[in-house]
Amino acid sequence: MDTRNFTFMFYGFLAAWLILVVYVLSLVSRERKITEQLKGLKGLLDYKERK
Amino acid sequence: MRAKLIYALGVIAAILLARNLYSIFMQLPDEASQGMIYRIIFFHVPAAITAMLCSAVAFVASILFLFTKNFRYDAVAVAVTEVGLAFLAANLVTGSIWGRIIWGIWWTWDARLTSALVCWLLYAGYLMLRHAIEEPTARARIAAVFNIFAFADVPIVFFSIKWWRTQHPQPVFWGGGSIDPAMYWTAALNLLALILLGVILSLIRLRQEEVQREVDSLRRYAHAV
Amino acid sequence: MDFFRQMWVITRKDLRAELRTKEAINASLAFSLVILVLFSFAFDPTEKETVAMSGGLLWIVFAFAGTLVLNRSFAREVPNDCLDALVAAPISGGALFMGKAAANFALVIAVEFVSLPVFGIFYNVHWTTHFWSLMLVLALGTWGLTVIGTIFSALTVNIRLRELMAPLLVYPMLIPCLMSAMQLSMDLIAGKPLGGENEIWLRLLIAFDVIFTALSLVLVETVLVG
Repeated sequence: MDTRNFTFMFYGFLAAWLILVVYVLSLVSRERKITEQLKGLKGLLDYKERK
Repeated sequence: MRAKLIYALGVIAAILLARNLYSIFMQLPDEASQGMIYRIIFFHVPAAITAMLCSAVAFVASILFLFTKNFRYDAVAVAVTEVGLAFLAANLVTGSIWGRIIWGIWWTWDARLTSALVCWLLYAGYLMLRHAIEEPTARARIAAVFNIFAFADVPIVFFSIKWWRTQHPQPVFWGGGSIDPAMYWTAALNLLALILLGVILSLIRLRQEEVQREVDSLRRYAHAV
Repeated sequence: MDFFRQMWVITRKDLRAELRTKEAINASLAFSLVILVLFSFAFDPTEKETVAMSGGLLWIVFAFAGTLVLNRSFAREVPNDCLDALVAAPISGGALFMGKAAANFALVIAVEFVSLPVFGIFYNVHWTTHFWSLMLVLALGTWGLTVIGTIFSALTVNIRLRELMAPLLVYPMLIPCLMSAMQLSMDLIAGKPLGGENEIWLRLLIAFDVIFTALSLVLVETVLVG
């Protein structure tokens, strides 16, 4: 197999996948934020109902 | 139900991607003039097509939102635009790296790269616009109108820049260049894999958007009680 | 005919309001002169290449100075609920939009007419060779600039960071229009007449104007009212 430009091709693939991974990570962090908000709100509602 | 769909699609996409990577690296021969680097085309072009599909779906979703005022369409529009933006970014970066090898420069203002960059800026503007508006109804409406304008601009941008400069290599798949059937199939399969990936990411993001909407309304309720 | 009468009322109102204070037009003029001076530092005005590309510079000046005027067009209506009054008035959204667009067009063209001789003097450019063709390009390009600027001013009227957002959204959208205008201006200033190779840019400019004027007229009510 011709190994011309092998490193650059590797970087190319890496870059494409990194971008997608970064996006997935942003989705994960968003998910975490939403669940936190949800928990906080549920707590608030429970507290208000108990009162 | 939807979670199961996402998992199923994920499995199919993973299998397809594994198969494609094997095919790309192990089976296909080197291209005559470019050496190994040409293999990046199997992600570069499908990413672009997926991004275009995403923008088309966003356009339709925006129009549907303006007609029906159903917020689900607004959620679809934002989810699909974000995912499309990620794919377009991947397209730009892979194109830039490829260009560095073939043309010797990291960037060139040729037709395709420039119009891809302009489209990226347009849709990034869409996301920034959404961040700037807090009220959900106004945000959905304004964003939908902007999306329609952006989509109307995309073909105009593409054609105008095409007439302006042409350094980009002639299209490999639809330009009259001949292509080895094995490569064609791998590319098509990779396109399918990337589209599946796009669908999965959009569905996840869509669910997050809907949950966020519920959380917001719950918050309003909690503070009103 | 009602449409044009309504449009004319709005145009007159906007022009009168602007000409009484002259805030935007003065700022715009000053800004365009400053940019022209700044460009002379970035690009040597005596070089042949600079003269060749000066048509492009001209449109950058017009775009930046024009945005100052265009951003204000709906933003000016926000204090004292003027925007609500306009939306509630018995005129169609399209007439409101076209009225404002026409007023903005007049203001931006005025700024351009002043900048053009200054540009000719600073950069030693003979822009009068194809005078009427250049005027046509100026009119078409400015109309594209005005339509997009006005509709985006309406779009961003209630957003925080409006001053920042509106230009950020407008410029990518304007790229085809500015590109055509730049190419045509460069050719006209260099002495080439319209037609032949230029034709395609002229057609693109006209298409851009038509498409986005139509789109804006259809969508302006959605933007303002919902």
